[in-house]
Amino acid sequence: MSKLRDRLEEFKTTFESGDPPYNATPEVVATMHQATAELKASGIENTALRAGDRAPDFTLFNQDHVEVASKDLLRQGPLVVSFFRGHW
Amino acid sequence: MMELEALQEIDSEVRSLGVRMLIITPELERYTRGVHRKLQLTFDVLTDLHLKTAAQFGLVFTLPDYLRDLYKSFGSTLDRFHDETEYRLPMPARYIIDSRSIIRAADVNADYTIRPEASETVRLLKELASSESVPKLDKKDSE
Repeated sequence: MSKLRDRLEEFKTTFESGDPPYNATPEVVATMHQATAELKASGIENTALRAGDRAPDFTLFNQDHVEVASKDLLRQGPLVVSFFRGHW
Repeated sequence: MMELEALQEIDSEVRSLGVRMLIITPELERYTRGVHRKLQLTFDVLTDLHLKTAAQFGLVFTLPDYLRDLYKSFGSTLDRFHDETEYRLPMPARYIIDSRSIIRAADVNADYTIRPEASETVRLLKELASSESVPKLDKKDSE
């Protein structure tokens, strides 16, 4: 099992090389770097919840349209919650 | 997707520690269903409609116009995926929340190409489990 970091790094190298299948131009790569740098500079990382804060409760639908409530799950034990941008 | 695969690899170990994993995404169920099936995930992928929960965690940002256009040219039509015209996303983040709803570990990064390592999450959970099992000797005195 290779580390996630290595797999992501490999993807990034391929993408930024401009080679197929992505064929990213240097302009595209520069644009994406600029956006990330701007987001970092906005200071948003410092306003996100952090260790020691109380986590908000949430009730959301899962992939099978079943409602999942964090409160119910927390009664059984801790949770690992990962925020994911999407399948694309 | 690579992150979800990495989390799938640790799911049985995480469960053996009495912990459940959840994924939260702004994508509609028609997309989460596909991802869940394709990767054969054994944990839930939850739809955070209009990023309400992500906002409560302070993770939401709006894509600048120039990036919106770029993503559209890639076919990433977030307005369809999220059912909203704003191109908003959550920062990638992973939280460990204990049974009293307190965040015990937070990994948040504005650079979406950096994701928390799954093995690190397992290490933190083991640390949490051992700290919780320490008998609280002073409990009687403080009562």
